[in-house]
Amino acid sequence: MAFIQAVLDGLMIGGVYAVISIGLTLVFGVMGIVNFAQAEFLMLGMFVAYFAWAYLGLDPLIGSILSFIVIFCIGLVQRTLIQRVMKAPPVAQIFLTIGLLIVIENLALLAFGSSFRSVSTSYQTSSLRIGPLFVSVPYLAAFCMAVLSGFALWLFTDRSWYGQAMRATAQNPLAARLMGIDVERMQQIAFGLGVGLTAFGGAIVLPYFTVNPTVGSQFVVLMFTAVVLGGLGNVVGAVIGGLAVGVIQSLSALLFPIQLQNLVLFLVFIGVLALRPTGLVGSSR
Amino acid sequence: MKYWPYLLAALAVAVLLPLWLAPSGYLIRVLTLALLFAALGQAWNIVGGLANQISLGHAAFFGLGAYTSTLLLINFGLSPWIGMLAAAGIGALAAFVLSFPTMRLSGHYFALATLAFSEVLRVLASSWGSVTGGPAGLSVPFSPDSLLMLQFKSTRPYYYIILAALLFVTAIFVAIRRSALGYRLRAVKESISAAEVIGVDTARVKVIASVISAALTAALGVIYAQLTYFFDPDSVFGIISISIRIALITILGGVGTAIGPIIGSFLIVPLEELANLLLSSRAAGLSQLFFGILLIAIILVQPRGVLVLIRNIVTRARRRKPS
Repeated sequence: MAFIQAVLDGLMIGGVYAVISIGLTLVFGVMGIVNFAQAEFLMLGMFVAYFAWAYLGLDPLIGSILSFIVIFCIGLVQRTLIQRVMKAPPVAQIFLTIGLLIVIENLALLAFGSSFRSVSTSYQTSSLRIGPLFVSVPYLAAFCMAVLSGFALWLFTDRSWYGQAMRATAQNPLAARLMGIDVERMQQIAFGLGVGLTAFGGAIVLPYFTVNPTVGSQFVVLMFTAVVLGGLGNVVGAVIGGLAVGVIQSLSALLFPIQLQNLVLFLVFIGVLALRPTGLVGSSR
Repeated sequence: MKYWPYLLAALAVAVLLPLWLAPSGYLIRVLTLALLFAALGQAWNIVGGLANQISLGHAAFFGLGAYTSTLLLINFGLSPWIGMLAAAGIGALAAFVLSFPTMRLSGHYFALATLAFSEVLRVLASSWGSVTGGPAGLSVPFSPDSLLMLQFKSTRPYYYIILAALLFVTAIFVAIRRSALGYRLRAVKESISAAEVIGVDTARVKVIASVISAALTAALGVIYAQLTYFFDPDSVFGIISISIRIALITILGGVGTAIGPIIGSFLIVPLEELANLLLSSRAAGLSQLFFGILLIAIILVQPRGVLVLIRNIVTRARRRKPS
């Protein structure tokens, strides 16, 4: 029974990881850049939701929409930074996003201080009982928000002109340009959307997570593992990868001491990179 | 070679300069650290520069080296010089093992895999407390000044040892670059499939280069442990403080050149120390912020490093003169 409970918890958390990872994979899929600073946008999203709760009295689940909007707008500055290294060798791209990581983290440290902050909500400690299993309400609420955002993203990419243009850009930038699509603009929007989604994912876990400027480092590993599991750039893969990472993490907590939880993820990560660098899900491109 | 007089002059300055500095002062410590990171950058250069395999996990070998020698010293009283050989061996072994999953990777994928590898070791060092001392770290047992135990009260002897280490690593780098191995590595860098076609065993070449690079990095980790007396998992397996700094120094100075890591290190390390000195008392994070902005600025201005930047400026100035 502990096993089923762990799988259930893992899926609940994994749903949120899926949204966070979609953000990262979207940026790679459309721009071809691995954004090492992605987790810092998650941290910023958590802070936006935290301040919305502290000063406006907004529940983090509602504040998450604000997080998405604010971080989406911040993400648009991509054009002045990341767009400039799009044609540069991978080294330059890696180090630019790492520089961004260091700058954002330390700006947050200067602005917000290093203390841990958390919100309090009415449902924070409550849980539902389904037969012998328990579902924590904040987990469930975050999971539902994750599903909703995933659905919204699907509507956007599948039905809207912008979404289709973005997928065209991801598939073949040159052909997209020939079809009259402004590729640079699409990449800019994809970056904003990607970091916005990751920030949204950070905001919805706020009811059961504390935030401080270094919180990003706790999400980096699982985010990258999920994305690599699903194949870099593959959105459906990121969803499956996110759920898988949630379950792996939750199950390894049953077997190993808490410090070694991430170790299992690292080993999965290296293993997947070695065996199937294109990801376990879908075909290799 | 027209470079020789300059190199000899630089070497003479490097040897004589510490005699004017306070033997345990702040300045000599900064210079010593700059030399150490130049040597680390040079070791990284063997893989990162010649084969263009961007490792973001060299802290793995650095930390392994520090832990190996210090644990041998604490548990068996072995001299760090012997520990250094053991560390080089373990570093080489670790690189060999790591090469199996990373052999066919390049670019972003290689960077991510090496990064994860160093994190695995950091987590292990933190959680395997009975052997490694856990998150609290290890202290090098104190012994009076002795060359045999590689331990000195003043910084000056370390300065000379690390200067010698830098010369040694640089000599190895230059030797590799001029050897057949160096040409094969550059073939890998230009095009892996073209290298395969002309008969280069690309996997073998990459493994040999990373084993040499890792062994040297681990040996330098031993010197670091002896220099600082104390270290913990976060300081020797640090992603930003070690892995990224090493790669950055080499890239900033000029990747794939023998002088690059030295230029990079003598720019970055003193700048960072200066920023620490001026800013860290004001607010936490300010000097790190400075480091990040510097990094972004360098990449945006000239991703191929200061050397290329200077060369470009010089050629532009020369072109203007005749007209």
